[in-house]
Amino acid sequence: MEVTYKVYRKDPEKDGKPGRANYAVDLLEGATVLDGLLKIRDEMDSSLAFRASCLRGNCGDCMVRINGGSRLTCVARVSAFTQKGPEISLDPLRNVPVIKDLVFDWDAFMWNKIKAIKPWLEAQEASSNGENIIPDAELKEVRKVMSCYHCGMCDEGCTVLPVDFHFLGPAALTKAYRFVFDPRDKETKERFKTLEGPKGIWDCVHCYEADEHCPRNLEPTKRIVALRDRAFQLGITNEKVARHHNSFAASVKESGWLDEGRLAVESEGLTNISGLMKLLPIAAKALMKGKAPIPYMHSKRPDADKIKKIFEKAEREEK
Amino acid sequence: MKYAFYPGCVSRGGCPELYPSAVKVADKLGIELDELKSVGCTGAGVLPQNITDPINARTFAKAEQLGLPIMTICSTCTGVMAQANYRLKEDPNYRDKINREFLADEGLEYKGTTEVKHLLWVLFEDYGIERLQTLIRRPLKGLKVSPFYGCYLRRPPEAITPTKELNRRKAYLDELIGILGAEMADISGKGKCCGFPILSANEENSLAMVAKHTGESKEKGADFMVTPCPLCHLNLDGNQARAEAQTGKEIDLPILHLPQFVGLALGFDPSEMNLKRHIVSTTDVESKVNMIS
Amino acid sequence: MQEFDVLVIGGGAAGLRAAIAAKRAGASVALITKAHPLRTNSGLAQGGINAPLGKDDSPESFAADILAAGDGLCDRSVVQALAQDAVKEVVWLERMGVPFNRDGEGRIDRRSFGSNSRRRSCYTDDRTGFLVLQVLHEQFQRQGIPSFEEWFVTSLAVDAGACVGVTALGLRSGKLDGFAARAVVLATGGFTRMYLPSTVSIGTTGDGQALAFLAGARLLDMEMVQFHPTVFPKRQSLLVTEATLSEGAEIVNQKGEVIEKSKGMPRAQLCLSIAQASGNGDGGAFLDLKPIGKEKLLSRFPQTHELLRSVAGLDATKDLIPIHPVAHRPMGGIETNASGETSVPGLFAVGECACNGLNGAGRLAGNTLTEAVVFGRKVGEAAAAHVKSTASRNFPTSKLADEEKRFAAATGADSSSDTLGKVHAALGQLMNEKVGLTRDASGLEAALDGIKKLQDRYQKIRVRNPSRIFNYELTTYLEVGSMLTLAENVALCAHARTESRGAHRRTDFPDSDNNNWRNHTIVKRVQNSPQVEKKPVAS
Repeated sequence: MEVTYKVYRKDPEKDGKPGRANYAVDLLEGATVLDGLLKIRDEMDSSLAFRASCLRGNCGDCMVRINGGSRLTCVARVSAFTQKGPEISLDPLRNVPVIKDLVFDWDAFMWNKIKAIKPWLEAQEASSNGENIIPDAELKEVRKVMSCYHCGMCDEGCTVLPVDFHFLGPAALTKAYRFVFDPRDKETKERFKTLEGPKGIWDCVHCYEADEHCPRNLEPTKRIVALRDRAFQLGITNEKVARHHNSFAASVKESGWLDEGRLAVESEGLTNISGLMKLLPIAAKALMKGKAPIPYMHSKRPDADKIKKIFEKAEREEK
Repeated sequence: MKYAFYPGCVSRGGCPELYPSAVKVADKLGIELDELKSVGCTGAGVLPQNITDPINARTFAKAEQLGLPIMTICSTCTGVMAQANYRLKEDPNYRDKINREFLADEGLEYKGTTEVKHLLWVLFEDYGIERLQTLIRRPLKGLKVSPFYGCYLRRPPEAITPTKELNRRKAYLDELIGILGAEMADISGKGKCCGFPILSANEENSLAMVAKHTGESKEKGADFMVTPCPLCHLNLDGNQARAEAQTGKEIDLPILHLPQFVGLALGFDPSEMNLKRHIVSTTDVESKVNMIS
Repeated sequence: MQEFDVLVIGGGAAGLRAAIAAKRAGASVALITKAHPLRTNSGLAQGGINAPLGKDDSPESFAADILAAGDGLCDRSVVQALAQDAVKEVVWLERMGVPFNRDGEGRIDRRSFGSNSRRRSCYTDDRTGFLVLQVLHEQFQRQGIPSFEEWFVTSLAVDAGACVGVTALGLRSGKLDGFAARAVVLATGGFTRMYLPSTVSIGTTGDGQALAFLAGARLLDMEMVQFHPTVFPKRQSLLVTEATLSEGAEIVNQKGEVIEKSKGMPRAQLCLSIAQASGNGDGGAFLDLKPIGKEKLLSRFPQTHELLRSVAGLDATKDLIPIHPVAHRPMGGIETNASGETSVPGLFAVGECACNGLNGAGRLAGNTLTEAVVFGRKVGEAAAAHVKSTASRNFPTSKLADEEKRFAAATGADSSSDTLGKVHAALGQLMNEKVGLTRDASGLEAALDGIKKLQDRYQKIRVRNPSRIFNYELTTYLEVGSMLTLAENVALCAHARTESRGAHRRTDFPDSDNNNWRNHTIVKRVQNSPQVEKKPVAS
């Protein structure tokens, strides 16, 4: 079948400006997008740069955008993309620095962020000479999460990264989950110091885009949520987030529902004059419109005591 | 058409214009609402699951006692509850544990039969668009509207769009805009996050997201943005001025709640929909709406 | 110019293990790898990593199985060294975080695999290689070893007959740089991309073996190439782990009738049976995974199920999987002793690029990962020890300039329609047909002739793209060169060995000849030509 590849080009050894090149190539039925790229590079334009390694959809290296959607070229069938016409567009992933053509900067995008979360087990002291004795159930989620093949689709679909490139991102945070929830790792408190710091778990908006994007259903967003929940149970060390979350919990525990006015004030901190001052303009405007819930003037819901019981029971169980 | 109504915390707190407009619209449509009064906050994605799953299971059990599905008017409530419901339905052992440890004391038990739907879903899936169309008194012709779903109304897939058919939920708001007579000013961020969850942890990023989505909507020529989530509303409307200050760019885009939008098309006056409560002025919208007779 | 005590070339399992060991032994170490470690071929290994952990097992039993699979060509002391240390290494991997599947008592579970007489293959679902590789990479990062990723080693620097470092091209920077070292450890993997189809990643082109050969090192048993029996042969040729056979899968014909009692059979035998079935016009051979049971299949072999779906469009819980043996990994490679020393002082080799006498004429299923970590550690330590006892030498000053000249000579306009891809495709087909599962004299002679012609074609091809940053045309040019060099050696050794043994089957010499051939083949470069000799198997 005859297909035209419309490929993003960028040459750092020339002007470095983004462009596009079209290649008409004849491929066998059942050819993959990578087959076409290899043929183009071999027979038509040897300067075309793109990555590939395992050839079997197992290592994540060949990730590009095909007609706007991120895919592995080594398993993507050309015929799946030429339903509307004999053309396909290839681009690097979004929101990632591009080095050359379809080759983008995996280090900045992902590897460096994984390095930042201390990606190795800090093993507990050995109690015997043999292996750790662990029930298989405790390792299932670790195995699942470790089947991540670093394709970057979670990071590419992330809502926060386009706004803040330095957010650690779902891939690195899922890697952090792997260690925090491995029964053999002893560094939990230390790890949370990093994870609760800037650009960490509290910067995630838990919008579940990552879960929707992950081709292996590893549920990266849920892993981040699990880290946040664990941080809550251990005691949140990020001060501002701690104030916010503890205030939220306190008003639901006491009254059954959220006292937003209290939340706004306590998140800043009752003694944080400059923070509270910052709130004044909005608070004033909201007050004028009748939109500002007065903090602490907050009615209890019926059955608030039942909600309180649930909190107390859950907190007891944590211990 | 009767529902156990779960209005959430914000619709009577920071967005008090939402609750009355939702109630008025439901009444006009003939949807009966039996409000769940003695239930707790869903947790909004802030509180951990070991606390919120029992609280939400309790809410489901109460609705089950009434024999009614739950209707919400907040994307976040819907999403949190849908996820909790998924966990409780998917794993009977887990549900048993929650029942035993938390609900049995009160004599409650969640059997796993409750459905949770946002008003937006109710309109398409239970009420019926044809029926809605018969009640439209003021098609919003000439108005350009951007949809903003609120991410908890769209993901995660197993809780929100578990079947191929229910994938349509991702287009309901787009479709509704056309059905109510308006033109859509589509934005790339309509299904993305508004930034509200990180307002406390990372204000800069939160406001950047507000600026991004409202800015794009304004560029596309929208008269206003409509959202089914009051938390999104709090950020997109309440913090729009701060977003403008951060980026140095004027936005001035009014944000409407879903029931207000529907209400205007049903023939309610803008004043009846409490549009004056919003932080970003809705005067332009009101005059445009009033001109449509 | 960069300088380190030990350079490890190749970021797969063996290379990472060697780098960690050398660092812990006190050397300054750097890794140079053309692919990011997590993208290397090691990640494709699936079925398991052998260790005699069971109560009914022992290093002696393990060694016996290895010797049997090696069909008389193994070095007994090397085999025993592996058998003794396997448990220690696997336990270390577990302690460092590999989440091995567990038995009911919480101990590392083991499954049957290939011709292992005991259940001794430890596994993580069907992604064993990938998870072991990840943990090795994690520990590698923990050591803080500088890692030159996406750097392509273009030559070995030799001074007075000893290896003193390498030259490498940084793909990202476009810079050609010299790396001086007192010990260079090649861990560059196999060479079976010279066969098409093959089961390996695109970069498994034998660069290490070719560089070593050109620098004067000897290669051992190059004719011994293992084919994998259960491979879906179309498109990308997807390997289905043999462990499925141990869990109940059957090899059947089109009608679903079992054609091979395949449990416990050594690979070479299994390959021949399947090839025969395909040739018989029975409609070919198929793998039926249904007897494993849907639940077990999805929980034990999730990756197999997923890849069969995405690559082959097949549902393993319902469909029969067409299979055919496909070129997999070599037993042969750079000749080394048990410490990884080659015949060139200062040059070490480990893993699939090396041949230390462990695998003989046939590798026991599940041993590749064990080999990588056991010998990875030994060779890393040996390299570090070598550094302590060796004076620093001079990196030849003209080496970089010579490399630049070599590239310049290979670069230029090329108006012919011949391409590297066409040469590779022709080589792949030639090797598969004439130096494949079964061989004979006339076929091998035709192969040698064909390879010569391909080498001539290669000499005429020019790299048209003069750029340096991510110039994959240049790296492909070098890789095709490596494969052509090695292909000639494989065919020569296959021609020389006039018997059948292990993976090497001669239809014109169908029996093994212990009188003449309890010998390895050695090939080394003598005046620019490969020369084949025999070397007796150590007793």
